[in-house]
Amino acid sequence: MRTRAVLIALLAFIGMVDALFLSIKRNAGPIPCHITRGCNDVLTSRYSALAGIPISWFGLVFYVTVFSLAVFTIFETGQPAGNRLKWVFYVSGLALIISALLVGIQAFTMNAFCEYCLLSAALVLTIFLLSPHSSRRTHPR
Amino acid sequence: MSKAVKPLSIIVVAILVAVGAAVYLSRQPDQVTETSAAPVLNTKGGGHFRGPETAAITLVEFGDYQCPSCGAYHPVVKELLNRYPQQVRLAFHHYPLISVHPTAMAAALAVEAAGEQGRYWEMHDLVFEHQQEWSANPNPESQFLALASRIGLNANAFMQATRSPHLQDRILQDVVRAREANIDAVPTFFINGERIHVPLSINAFVDVIEARLHK
Repeated sequence: MRTRAVLIALLAFIGMVDALFLSIKRNAGPIPCHITRGCNDVLTSRYSALAGIPISWFGLVFYVTVFSLAVFTIFETGQPAGNRLKWVFYVSGLALIISALLVGIQAFTMNAFCEYCLLSAALVLTIFLLSPHSSRRTHPR
Repeated sequence: MSKAVKPLSIIVVAILVAVGAAVYLSRQPDQVTETSAAPVLNTKGGGHFRGPETAAITLVEFGDYQCPSCGAYHPVVKELLNRYPQQVRLAFHHYPLISVHPTAMAAALAVEAAGEQGRYWEMHDLVFEHQQEWSANPNPESQFLALASRIGLNANAFMQATRSPHLQDRILQDVVRAREANIDAVPTFFINGERIHVPLSINAFVDVIEARLHK
């Protein structure tokens, strides 16, 4: 269980760096793509913000939340370990739905892909896949 | 309470490290890259030129007036033309990405309309320089009119020209050229027909131009 919490924390840390990088770059000129094509189009599009708040900021809040839950799980003693990871499951489930929508917009509406956003979607998916396993191990039947 | 100190410290340190890493990565210089992804660039008959016909280097830009990156590149390109007034010629082509920049077409029309009165480049500069002001407005026509007035354009003629099918066609022909060249992002630059990605820095542009001049 602790190993999974460590993995989730590591992934969330990478996500934090990714989200912070996008938040900085969004207001600092062009965002170069190295693998995909159309980073600028995606990151300066009208889909890149919700109610005026850049999507990357929501991502940052998500990753900080997941990282915090995972770190507290790692240091948890006494109470049933991994209770907090249940929250990672719910939070990452919601984030996964949003990520799927954003990837769909890139693929079908914009026909442009942003590698940093795809990395984030992959991180969310992996965190989601890791979280239920952690919960299951915490409460073996 | 004391149990929480260790994880909280780790969280705070991790956030600080993440901020440091993101700032470091965002400051990494972008690389100049040349790509052969584009087929032969067909710009014949299109574009607006700034600089002497005899210039050794033609810098072609496909741009969108509402694109923030194009706005960021604009002063750099202008500075480049100031530094190389005889050696570099700019050919600007429209590529309004209207699916993501809904008023880019209106902006392109406003600049073309100014061009009808012989003030294309003045309007081009103004529209880019005031991008942040008008791009948040879903109907920026009155702002374009105000910019046109600043450079002394005839308001009636300007407004009529913005509705001209002929000018729309001119812009759409540029869009066709952009698609033929497989351009999928703005701004996209070509130097003497060769597609190139230049980082947002006057020094990077100068390096590329110097290399071409001494080839």
